[in-house]
Amino acid sequence: MAARNSRGRARRKNEYFFDYTLLTVVIFLIAFGLLMIYSASSYNANLNFGDPKHFVKSQLFATTLGAVVMVAVITIDYHLLQKFAVPIYIISAVLVMLVLTPLGIERNGARRWLNLGISLQPAEIAKIAVIVMVATLACKMGRYAKSFKGIVIMAVSGILMALIIGVFNKNMSTAIIVCAITAVMIFVIDPDYKKYFIGALLVAVAAGIVIFIAKTSLTSDSGFRLKRIAAWLDPTAFSSDTSFQTLQGLYAIGSGSIFGKGLGQSMQKLGFIPESQNDMIFSIICEELGIFGALVVIFLYVLLIWRCMVIANNAPDLFGALIVVGVMGHFAIQVIMNIAVVTNTMPNTGVSLPFISYGGSSALFLMAEIGLVLNVSKSIRLHELG
Amino acid sequence: MRDFGNKVRKKIILLSAVFSLCLTGLAGRTIYLMVFESAYYSKMARDVHERERDIKAQRGEILDRNGNVLAGNKPVCTISVIHNQITDEEKVIDTLTSILKLDREKVEKRVKKVSSIERIMSNVDKEIADKIEALSLDGVKVDEDYKRYYPYGMLASKVLGFTGSDNQGIIGLEVKYDDVLRGQNGKILTTTDAKGREVSSQGERRVEPVKGNTLRTTLDLNIQSYADTLARGVMEAKQAEGVSIIVMRPDNGEIYAMVDIPEFDPNHPFEGAVSENDLNAMWRNRCINDTYEPGSAFKVFTAAAALSHEVTTVSEAFHCPGYVVVEDRRIKCHKTNGHGSETFETAIMNSCNPVFVTVGLRLGPERFYDTFQKFGLLEKTGIDLPGEAATIMHKKDAIGQVELATMSFGQSFQITPIQLCTMVSSVINGGNRVVPHVAMEASDVSGNSILTYQYQAKKGIVSPEISAEMRRLLEKVVAEGGGAKAQVAGFRIGGKTATSQTLPRNSGRYISSFVGFAPADDPKVLALCVIYTPKGIYYGGQIAAPVVARLFENILPYLERMNYNEG
Repeated sequence: MAARNSRGRARRKNEYFFDYTLLTVVIFLIAFGLLMIYSASSYNANLNFGDPKHFVKSQLFATTLGAVVMVAVITIDYHLLQKFAVPIYIISAVLVMLVLTPLGIERNGARRWLNLGISLQPAEIAKIAVIVMVATLACKMGRYAKSFKGIVIMAVSGILMALIIGVFNKNMSTAIIVCAITAVMIFVIDPDYKKYFIGALLVAVAAGIVIFIAKTSLTSDSGFRLKRIAAWLDPTAFSSDTSFQTLQGLYAIGSGSIFGKGLGQSMQKLGFIPESQNDMIFSIICEELGIFGALVVIFLYVLLIWRCMVIANNAPDLFGALIVVGVMGHFAIQVIMNIAVVTNTMPNTGVSLPFISYGGSSALFLMAEIGLVLNVSKSIRLHELG
Repeated sequence: MRDFGNKVRKKIILLSAVFSLCLTGLAGRTIYLMVFESAYYSKMARDVHERERDIKAQRGEILDRNGNVLAGNKPVCTISVIHNQITDEEKVIDTLTSILKLDREKVEKRVKKVSSIERIMSNVDKEIADKIEALSLDGVKVDEDYKRYYPYGMLASKVLGFTGSDNQGIIGLEVKYDDVLRGQNGKILTTTDAKGREVSSQGERRVEPVKGNTLRTTLDLNIQSYADTLARGVMEAKQAEGVSIIVMRPDNGEIYAMVDIPEFDPNHPFEGAVSENDLNAMWRNRCINDTYEPGSAFKVFTAAAALSHEVTTVSEAFHCPGYVVVEDRRIKCHKTNGHGSETFETAIMNSCNPVFVTVGLRLGPERFYDTFQKFGLLEKTGIDLPGEAATIMHKKDAIGQVELATMSFGQSFQITPIQLCTMVSSVINGGNRVVPHVAMEASDVSGNSILTYQYQAKKGIVSPEISAEMRRLLEKVVAEGGGAKAQVAGFRIGGKTATSQTLPRNSGRYISSFVGFAPADDPKVLALCVIYTPKGIYYGGQIAAPVVARLFENILPYLERMNYNEG
């Protein structure tokens, strides 16, 4: 690596790669997201706040802030993160726990935000912290990372943060995402395939058993998680409570049909889908823009995954590659879970659609993560791109 | 120069492939939902987006036999405001206050209330509502619907019945023929948001209501009105508790008129009563809902039965000492010093109790009861009005001599007035027990007949000869006997008077009645007048017979002119 800048061959000044495709896709997704947030939220924003731009303004602020952070992240050498992995990890864990102090803000019955001048959802920082931590551990441990002990250490660093988020923020879906990101990164580090196939198989079997239980032995006093699964299997039977949101989302998707109702023409956003600018925004996209809109959005995410893969595979070092894999894992998992929930392909859980759903912290830190990816891409030498 | 190997790279490629595959699958799922499930979810979505306001359908009209509307519809309007759509609050308040003549404060409160829809006034006359509609004020909604309207007020109220707030029939023809009369409600479907606020850009969908079918009845508005006037007159003159008049065709059972004073106002059926019992009493049609002891009018039955079974002849001589002893009971004649010697024919004219007891006893319990049954008196008449009361009669094996004796002159059992009319009809019409009825024909909105009601008469109640003989005898009752006050110059009238003491016997309360028919030789109309608890003179021959006489005086020339006979 020391020889990086001492090549004899003369090259143009711009000899390093920068992934403009990725940047374009992200900028497009964010702009599209702002448009859809405005469309989805303006009616209720006008009713409740007297300002149809209430939500879009706040999102625009977070996005602007995110853009600044992204530029900052791009310019700073990402290798510095390796040195600060542990402090970042500890600070985010503490921030997550601080939610329970008077600094915490409660919204919609969930206490997940911190008031630090601007309101932040520390669990979003924790995701980056885990990505950096696992990547750092893998690099520091070198070949030991592939040993059982190494894998356990990396897994523990992820699971520990997931537990903290689960316990202190009561945020089950973010905990799952943190675990999934960790699993994805370990899968990449570990050359073995067998145990991951077996693991996937076990997860499938467990899911099957849970579905069976939910189908056969659901009683009125079953826990809400089992009820959610039953509601997933038969949304119309729980239309008034558990699957209300899901069903309303399906109404939106179904009534979108092939061509959609046209931008701004959604009926379901008029209070039928609660907070339609949040997790259910994909259903409004379907309703207003039809199959075309939905497929373009999904295609953009596939594009994003493809760019991340290219960058990761051409990263100058394992740390860079793992950071990119972690970020890719993060948004890919969220996109898949979000669309799966909205289309009732899996039981309802609150996961936002990256770059599009309303949510300041999410936008801010996702852009920081993209900054990291672009940072890594910037370190790729053009002639090494393959 | 990378410090990680191809193994990692392969994994990264595999990972991104798996992610892309998942997204492709979800894209497929989305397409499936948006193409194949689209119709299903679109419909469900529309159901939650649309709020319904019913448009009440017009109920079919009830007509008299000549097409006069007895029960129609009045267009009325409901004026409402939708707060969110009002642009000029003050103007709306001013306009509504002045046009609807309402209290300004009330209107202001409703207009300023933040609600999805606020009703200002319902049952507003169409002309007034049209004025408001013409101004087309933002946020003011005028919804038109229909309210049942009875143009003749109380006339025939107990036959027609009335309807409830949903235009459903409650009593009378309205409930009996509810299926025919009821229309199909329409709908105004308004697109609203989740809280029910109208989304004006989406407009309204309307499902038009369908008006109900028209019911033509056998009633005759003129006869009904005249009978009503007569009944009111006698009710006032005699300070009676009530007066019923039934006018029907004895040959086919068509009811021309059915009056039961006091009537109620079907346009405001709940007014004038305090309790539910009061309401039920007010709506009760004594012609069919209540039974009474028919008294001497029932001698028509005893005479017809006796002649049919040949236990006497019209010329057989009897002697009335003013009473008759049956077992240990002394049954008095209304003429306490007795009618002396008389034939059966004169006994009918005199309405002589001892003679009827004698022939009744000759019939014996068995034959009396069987004939009673054969005449159909144990069954309901089958009139097409709800709540017909059943006959109250002794059990066959419980009929002793005393019961038989009292039944011979119409006491100790109870029938409805309509039952009496039906029985007398069958005796004088040649022996056919007709079904008394009101409904004649149902037709659709465009006037095409969809159903002509058929009623099957039971033949052979008495022989034609006995029937002819009874007509002759009953004509003599009016011409020379106790029914003299029912005479009408220029017409042959037959009939029978009745006066019965109500239970308990010593209360001094009477029911006076007269049943008459004309022309006596070929009856085209039969009328029964029942006066409940008259004050002063209470003999049916004295007070009920003149009512029927005056009714016939007027309607016989009218009926001749109208010539309802064919059909």
